[in-house]
Amino acid sequence: MSEFDDVTPLKPSDERITYRGPLKRLLISPEIGALIGAVVVWAFFWGNGDKFGTAGSTANFLDVAAPLGIMAVAVSLLMIGGEFDLSAGVMTGASGVTIALMAKYFTDGGISLWVCIPAAFLLAGCVGWWNGFLVNKTGLPSFIVTLGSFFVIKGANLVFSKRINSLVNVSDVDKAHGYKFFKAVLGGENKFGDTKYRDIIFIIGGIAFGVLLIIGFVEQSLLRLEQTSISTMLVAIVGAVAGIAGVLILHRTDSVSGNVLAGVVGLSGAALAMVSYSRARFQSREPLVGALPETARPLIILGLLGTAVASLAGQLFDRGEESVMLQWFPSWLRLVVAVAAGALPLWFFVRQVKRGDVEFRAKTVALIAVRLPIICLVSLTGIVSLFQLTTVQAVRAVLITVAGTGAATCLYRARSIAGKQSTKWFINLGVLMSACFIVVAFAVRADSSAPRFRGGIFATLLIGAALVLATTFIEANQKKRSLADLNADRLGKRLVLVAMVLGSIALGTRLLFSEGVFRMSVFWWLFFTAVGAFVLTKTKYGNWIFAVGGNKDAARATGVPADKVKTALFMATSLMGAFVGAMILMRLNSVQAQQGDGQEFEYIIAAVVGGNLMTGGYGSVIGASLGALIMAVSKNGIPAAQWNQDGRYIFLGAVLLVAVLVNNYVRRKANEQR
Amino acid sequence: MSNSTPLLELQNVGKYFGNVKALENVSTTVKAGEVTCVLGDNGAGKSTFIKIISGLHKPSTGKYLFEGHEVTFDSPREARALGIATVYQDLAMAPLMSVWRNFFLGSEPTKRFGPINLLDTKFARATAKEEMSKLGIDVRDIDQPVGTLSGGERQSVAIARAVYFGARVLILDEPTSALGVRQSDLVLGYVKAAAARDLGVILITHNPQHALPIGNRFLILNRGQSVGHFEKQDLTYERLIELMSGRVHAA
Repeated sequence: MSEFDDVTPLKPSDERITYRGPLKRLLISPEIGALIGAVVVWAFFWGNGDKFGTAGSTANFLDVAAPLGIMAVAVSLLMIGGEFDLSAGVMTGASGVTIALMAKYFTDGGISLWVCIPAAFLLAGCVGWWNGFLVNKTGLPSFIVTLGSFFVIKGANLVFSKRINSLVNVSDVDKAHGYKFFKAVLGGENKFGDTKYRDIIFIIGGIAFGVLLIIGFVEQSLLRLEQTSISTMLVAIVGAVAGIAGVLILHRTDSVSGNVLAGVVGLSGAALAMVSYSRARFQSREPLVGALPETARPLIILGLLGTAVASLAGQLFDRGEESVMLQWFPSWLRLVVAVAAGALPLWFFVRQVKRGDVEFRAKTVALIAVRLPIICLVSLTGIVSLFQLTTVQAVRAVLITVAGTGAATCLYRARSIAGKQSTKWFINLGVLMSACFIVVAFAVRADSSAPRFRGGIFATLLIGAALVLATTFIEANQKKRSLADLNADRLGKRLVLVAMVLGSIALGTRLLFSEGVFRMSVFWWLFFTAVGAFVLTKTKYGNWIFAVGGNKDAARATGVPADKVKTALFMATSLMGAFVGAMILMRLNSVQAQQGDGQEFEYIIAAVVGGNLMTGGYGSVIGASLGALIMAVSKNGIPAAQWNQDGRYIFLGAVLLVAVLVNNYVRRKANEQR
Repeated sequence: MSNSTPLLELQNVGKYFGNVKALENVSTTVKAGEVTCVLGDNGAGKSTFIKIISGLHKPSTGKYLFEGHEVTFDSPREARALGIATVYQDLAMAPLMSVWRNFFLGSEPTKRFGPINLLDTKFARATAKEEMSKLGIDVRDIDQPVGTLSGGERQSVAIARAVYFGARVLILDEPTSALGVRQSDLVLGYVKAAAARDLGVILITHNPQHALPIGNRFLILNRGQSVGHFEKQDLTYERLIELMSGRVHAA
């Protein structure tokens, strides 16, 4: 472990900065909310139906979602630059119509796609330039200007396709020259042999991911101790390796018992890592429960009640499934757990009240009063879904929703009670979060017929829970510790970053290559996200984009060509629309004149859900991509859960609202004087 | 720069907008390493004065000398090219961007990486921090958004930025107007530190308590007229107040 040797000893970089741990630093970046949201939404739907979440179906819906994701990248850049483009959606249709019409009717016999597609891009570039020009010249809100473009383009699409093709859709472009090439590049599903290589990539990537992640966290956190405990570190690493072994077994086996075994191995390994971590932290400290602040009590009560409900759920709604988890958890044990979890908080509560802890009582009453409307709303939604569907699955879904809402309420409550004054709330948050992870993992695991993919996610969730918990414990002691050692910090950060990349590659190969098919659309989605994120954060143009959105006058005063930046952003959005239009045309081999009509709002929603600020100046491309993923997951998950398809709009609205609230909160945090 | 040639000099400068006399018969000098304070109540002509110096307005009468040569500016950019930098009250910063991103806004350092010009974030972070510490400004976290800084710290970022990008004359427009006592002291300290780096500083303020301790030279304006131009030793606080309020005219 040569990385550990060249680390210089502790040196406080600045005594006024309290050390911010890896997790906390992560939490203030704009895309993190979207990431958590994507995981939660994914887990939610995946716990709701066994059609959702397998590698094959995931790859399929990612394929369908790619246009939204690609557009969200451009739209988010534009939004960070402080503008909107309502013509972005209809631009995809315009591009498709242009290409299709030219390919079929231009100079009688049609013309090569090598001419049509650049022509569509040229057109899009002009539209984008015009939007930017008008906005800059007139200073009018881009909403109005691009709304005008929207109607003009929409009309033109209809007029031209009816005039020339006498239909509102144009199809059969596959006879055009160059079709094969463009289909392969833009919209194709390319066969890539068997899945052996995929598995190898997955395994190697998975191992490297786990090891690097753990080492990275060790590096960032443990090495800052006054005396580094090598043995503890080794145990942590052994635990991590065991955890990874669990994942591997999960990957290798199809049998249910094998899955369970692997789950247990993974869990115990992760737990080992976690315990050895926390042991290092808590050697001379009070026990955890004793250290919990007074104000955490309501949280414990709520958490335990949640556990009770979760445990009873299976009891109440007998699914009649042969689930191994149920065998491992016989019904009497579940009942005991439920009763204990339910009775404990009650006892706790009664004792508090008897003691005459007035403040506590008042707080509880206040809590109920404030949260009552929310609880009512959630219950209402639950009941409605119940009546509508009356399937066991729906009931479980509602229960998970309620439990999730409860957990979220807990988190919020923990935050508001503890205020900013301490890291205590952070402990609560971490403990609850990992508890939620574990509950979700088991709930999902117990409820599924466990294909390998689910097994993988199951283990990932458990390990995630362990990591969160471990970090939390370390965070909890941050005050005791002398301050950040930059070397350890930097190296740790890099390791974690590399781990993330490897993990993404590993998971990505499983998704991209499912059934031996490589999907270009998903590739383009990833590609444009990477390019967008790179430009935004690693080049000076990114700095300019932030600045024109954040304070245009300031940008101009310091010499940023603000108008040019805005025009370029408008053009990028339109060009991306043209790209997506070509992509869809190549995939479907036909185009509707109304295609993309109304989609622009979905792009904007994706960007906002991804943590981009509506007013500009703040945001993230990766976040927008994740926002698109959230929308795609819900779009696909709702039918998979056998809900009413139209319900997705309700869901979408709710997601948007939550995202905006979270964004608002984050921005307030960011603007607070530290 | 020899002490005899002033960095910047105004001789009997005036500005008329139609028949409105915004500024009349104003003279002052700015020397390297010294602070020239421009004092006046609201409507005294301070903003017109800044706009003339920063090249936004051309003076209607009088002479504008830079290093002894007469200059006329067609745009603020020309003034900036000579090193005349203005730090306005609104500071020209994007509040949601980090300190270092704001510091280098519009003049980002890049490094080549193959065909791509990367933003040199390492250099930018280190330089921003270092430049600010040279003025005695100790930022806690160079990555924190500027919006989270206090008013005085924001001023300091703007001052450090102007100094780093080659300012020779630094015009500060009411840097202390929105600040509390301690914050004002801090900012005035930065102003002094900036002057100590051989810059000519023009400090515009309506607060004589802030001007008196750090100014080397004082120009007092009232209703568009110069009511006095003093070296430090010729001026007392009481006299300054009297002049500013317009009750007495300088002899």
